[in-house]
Amino acid sequence: MMELLPQALTDGILLGGIYITIAIAFSLTYGVMHVIDFAVGEWIMFGAFTGYYLNKWTGLDPFLFLPVIFVLYFGVGYVIQPVIHRVLSGTKGNPFLMGLVFTFGLAIMFRGLALTAFGFYSNSIPSAFSEGSFNLEPLGLTVTIPTVRLVGLGYAVAITLILHYLLKKTNFGLGVRALAQHKDAAGLMGVNSKRTGSYVYGIYVGISAMTGVLLGCILSIGAQMGNEYTIFAFFVVVLAGMGYLAGVPWAALLLGLVQSIFMIYFNPSHTLLAVFAILYIILLISPRGLFGKGV
Amino acid sequence: MKNRGATILAIIGAALLILPLVMHDTFVLRVLTEGIMWIGLAIAFDVIAGYTGYLNFGHGAFFGIGAYTIGILMMQANLPFWAALPLGGVAAGITALIAGIPTLRLKGAYFAIATWALSRAIQQLALNVEFTGGPDGMRLEAFLNPQFFYYLMLITVGVIFATLWYLLERAPFGLKLKAIREDEEGAKALGLNPTKLKMQSFILSALPTGILGGIYAYWITFIDPSSTLGDLVSDQAVVMVVFGGMGTLFGPALGAILIFAFKTLFWAYLSDFQLLYLIILGALIAISVIFIPNGLWGTMVKRKAGATRPEQKAEPASEPAALSAVAAPEEGN
Repeated sequence: MMELLPQALTDGILLGGIYITIAIAFSLTYGVMHVIDFAVGEWIMFGAFTGYYLNKWTGLDPFLFLPVIFVLYFGVGYVIQPVIHRVLSGTKGNPFLMGLVFTFGLAIMFRGLALTAFGFYSNSIPSAFSEGSFNLEPLGLTVTIPTVRLVGLGYAVAITLILHYLLKKTNFGLGVRALAQHKDAAGLMGVNSKRTGSYVYGIYVGISAMTGVLLGCILSIGAQMGNEYTIFAFFVVVLAGMGYLAGVPWAALLLGLVQSIFMIYFNPSHTLLAVFAILYIILLISPRGLFGKGV
Repeated sequence: MKNRGATILAIIGAALLILPLVMHDTFVLRVLTEGIMWIGLAIAFDVIAGYTGYLNFGHGAFFGIGAYTIGILMMQANLPFWAALPLGGVAAGITALIAGIPTLRLKGAYFAIATWALSRAIQQLALNVEFTGGPDGMRLEAFLNPQFFYYLMLITVGVIFATLWYLLERAPFGLKLKAIREDEEGAKALGLNPTKLKMQSFILSALPTGILGGIYAYWITFIDPSSTLGDLVSDQAVVMVVFGGMGTLFGPALGAILIFAFKTLFWAYLSDFQLLYLIILGALIAISVIFIPNGLWGTMVKRKAGATRPEQKAEPASEPAALSAVAAPEEGN
């Protein structure tokens, strides 16, 4: 069994890398809007299907579409965010509850739309990278790395670095961080919370959709895939501490490792249960995440 | 006004009690039984969501736990129905306790995530262990007596309604919950223990739900993870309460009646477009949130209050608004 361990660890890191991109954008959105987007998995699913159909119609490699899909879904997010903003800044009822309920409703609606349009079938997106793989032999143990997963990890690192640059080195990022710290004070300092919120939500939807295409190449796509990724996004964000971006990569890698270790050593269908058990224990012991820095 | 409301309730109650004696259509009775069950599920959901302000997106889990507990106890432990039924409620209550301990100390966002994840986890559990029958579900001993189930459901929901009415609208307990909803820090400052109260309200919400699930299992005689533990139960509860009006008992009941009537008609005439139902549910939530954040009942009551007492119109409307305006930035931090 031990000879499988390097393979399990490699798979876990490669998979966890992709979860970083989902969770980092998701966590950022929570930090700025203070509302959880229950539709995160549905954005991933929509992105995956867009990639699938674009590939079918044009025959081009899905990786070439990534920028197109980002721009498209950035636009979708940019248009939808003001509605959420309106709900959150309402004076009737409890705006925070209403915001949560609103995204929950969106998620149900999106799932219904996808099931209507795409049916219950599951598919995968063919890519030039899908077939290839290469072997590494550290210490005499063979580890197989599928090319597409390695490209996926490269994508995740690139997205993370770009977001890091955007947040830490630009004026826009300064505004985003200010909003996350204190909305009213940021507003007084001249941060346009509406527009910044729309940009952040657009970026988040765009990244989620792009990641969907990648997941479609690596694993599979289906109208019901959203639920699973929503759970993963929640898991990573809660484990990292809600709104604490620096914890996200570690939590995402941990999720990838848990998944791959269960795939290889235990019953794969118990993976989700293990994920829930870990989540429960973390919440019980350290409710603010692994690093105790969540809000 | 209050007496008139009580009279109307008494008339509806009496009519529902007499109905099976004069009407023998099994289909109608079946629809009514399920409709009454949904009223019970919706008002139980509202205890934690509407009164306490903590959204439980996994209400269906407690329903399913109740159903499965009764199924397992009756079929594998050979317990009689009456002995198993309370245990279904207890099982749901204990699950709420276990799920509530880590999450109710935290902000509402965690609770919403955790309950939703819990419902997924329970479904996974039912699919993967043996004693639930896995994906095949389980069949209960059939007891085919529509009248019996109609009365059982009616009386159970009646008792739930009366208990919740007393606890939430008459006893101080309801006021304490509302205080937490409006301003948790403020409630703490007044000497309340929010975590304990939230825990109590969560259990108070889960327990009747489990009992209703138990009755449902015995009535339908077949339970499986996708129908009993699927997300549709939770989703419908959310729609009913948000559309009907959170934070009251009549709002969710009204929402339950309307949504259930819609569902029944939809299933009867448009059963080829079942997925459309999901889209409508989602859209209805989004539309209710944007246009009637107080729900149908809340909007109706406010309009009526405004029409009869115009001089007091501004005051009751602005008070909760001011409170939530104070609370909003705090939640933002």
